[in-house]
Amino acid sequence: MHDVRYDAVHDEIVVPVPYAQAILTFRGAADGQEGPIRIIQGPKTGAIGSRLDVDPIHNEIFTYTGNTVTVYPREANGDVAPIRVIRGPDTQLKRPYGIAVDPINDILVIGLNSNFGSDEPITLEDSESLEKGAILVFNRTDSGNVKPRGVIRGPKSGIIRINQMQLYPQRKLIVGAMPGIIDNMEPDGAFLGVWSYDDNGDVPPKWKIPANDRTKLKKPFGVVLNPKNKEVIISDMRNQGVLVFSLPEIF
Amino acid sequence: MDKIFRYKKVWPFQLLLLGFIVWLAQAILAQGQVDRKPVVIERPPLRFIKDPNPSFSAVAVDSDSNMLVVSDENMFRIMEYDRRESTPPRARLTEPKRIISGTNTKAEMICGVYIDPKTKEIYALNGDTQNWMPIFSTDARGNVAPNRALNIPGHPFQMAADEEKQLLYMTIQSDNKIVVYRKQASGGEKPLRTIQGNDTHLEDPHGIALDFKNKLIFVSNFGNANLRGEAGSGRYGKFDPPSITVYPMEGSGNIKPVRIIEGPKTLMNWPAHMAFHEERQELFVANDADNSIVVFRASDEGDAAPIRVIKGPKTGIKSPPGIALDAKLGELYVANMGTPSITVFPVAANGDVAPARTIRGGPAGAVGLMIGNPGAVGYDTKREQILVPN
Repeated sequence: MHDVRYDAVHDEIVVPVPYAQAILTFRGAADGQEGPIRIIQGPKTGAIGSRLDVDPIHNEIFTYTGNTVTVYPREANGDVAPIRVIRGPDTQLKRPYGIAVDPINDILVIGLNSNFGSDEPITLEDSESLEKGAILVFNRTDSGNVKPRGVIRGPKSGIIRINQMQLYPQRKLIVGAMPGIIDNMEPDGAFLGVWSYDDNGDVPPKWKIPANDRTKLKKPFGVVLNPKNKEVIISDMRNQGVLVFSLPEIF
Repeated sequence: MDKIFRYKKVWPFQLLLLGFIVWLAQAILAQGQVDRKPVVIERPPLRFIKDPNPSFSAVAVDSDSNMLVVSDENMFRIMEYDRRESTPPRARLTEPKRIISGTNTKAEMICGVYIDPKTKEIYALNGDTQNWMPIFSTDARGNVAPNRALNIPGHPFQMAADEEKQLLYMTIQSDNKIVVYRKQASGGEKPLRTIQGNDTHLEDPHGIALDFKNKLIFVSNFGNANLRGEAGSGRYGKFDPPSITVYPMEGSGNIKPVRIIEGPKTLMNWPAHMAFHEERQELFVANDADNSIVVFRASDEGDAAPIRVIKGPKTGIKSPPGIALDAKLGELYVANMGTPSITVFPVAANGDVAPARTIRGGPAGAVGLMIGNPGAVGYDTKREQILVPN
């Protein structure tokens, strides 16, 4: 399980289970071996990605499979087909891995993975086909083979790949975990980055928390915001832990 | 007419001017974004949630050399103890004889370990994050490179060796398959054969054990089915009950199991590592989510109740993914993730019994946080709780 979302409007916890190609919804207070209250799974549903996000206002769940973004009704239970998909060459969707939706400003953001690891032998020929990840910004209601409204990619962006992301609608910010080269145990250049919805091109983050001895970050995988306390909560794979930072600057 | 003419002259100019201003604004904005210097925040965290103790995920024993090898998924370590150790009740912990750990080792989240009975080399299976099985010699310690390493598919869970035929069998969770390698394979060598497909009933396979007498492979499954649709219609999922599927030792391809142990009487709940006792013809299963060890007859089929269950507060068993059998000395070793301990029982143990020995890697009574590869994090604003998927 590589994602978890708390839906504060409906007091529910939503998780993807990619090994069983399912989306599970639990009561917010669920504890122990309590079963889910809804399951989306079956031949019509198809495959489910490692990550998802919930739009509690328009009642939709966003996930992906392969290079396709899929959208399901939030209240669906059983074998249901997606109600919308985003796919095609114009979308620039390649190896989607992070996903986040803003139902207030109608924005959907997709983080892309890289196609290389540190242990793979790299020749000059290979290096031309190496692709780092990116952040793609779409409209929330986009469907079909649409172009993203913004693409953040390139050396100044610092993005090698993007894991979990959160959006902060009040200031139109994208907060993303950038854990570095996938199989480097303690990769150089990992960070938590904050970009704007309007960023486009090879754009550095507005704010970044780098992985180093002072911040204690090593390989940030997940992020969630707590605006009430002006905190950013980060899960870190190499620390096998969770770190909480005060970050009033972004709230 | 003069008025109209004048407007015709002015409108194009105004439009051009407006277009230029918009273009200029966008160019300035884009340049501003590219030239932006990020505000680098290097403050320490307010809070840091981390388990200070090991989280034992796998165990292997060799009584000829008194080697007990365990893996610690919390601090990414492979540790060797003397198998005769027993941590005194008042001691904080037992120190291992050696530790292999670090970025040079190709070992990170180790979920399976094996000791070669002749060379005493340690085989270590990375369960996630690294697609390698590193092999270490008896003198390896610290942040050392492995003596050799095999590039394996992602997300394996347990391995079992056929020493006579020099083969290694391993379960691969994500692709629902069993792969069989030469035991000496290294680098990018491919498996000799694979068991995989809808007919196999492999559903998130975890444990694997071999019965050399009856030439059978036992596989424990969590029950997460990931099926291929007909005529290339893509994958879809299904939740089935946990099971143990049984295959012929020489099986290959999309074969049906010769029998299945499955049903509510089995008590299986996340059946993880398994070990087979040849002489007793018994199959031992680490029943992770039930905090128990369940034992089946080798011939069991269908909704069979275990012949013995080790479970209860006296046992000290909590969230056990790993077990190992010492058939020679008649002992069962259990790796617990819910508490930093290895608990040792006689093979015939049954019920709520105290272990014969406990080897602790942390203080008595310590409870494991069980944070493992936290790929994401959530926040419950109503209860002010942090949610961590593993």
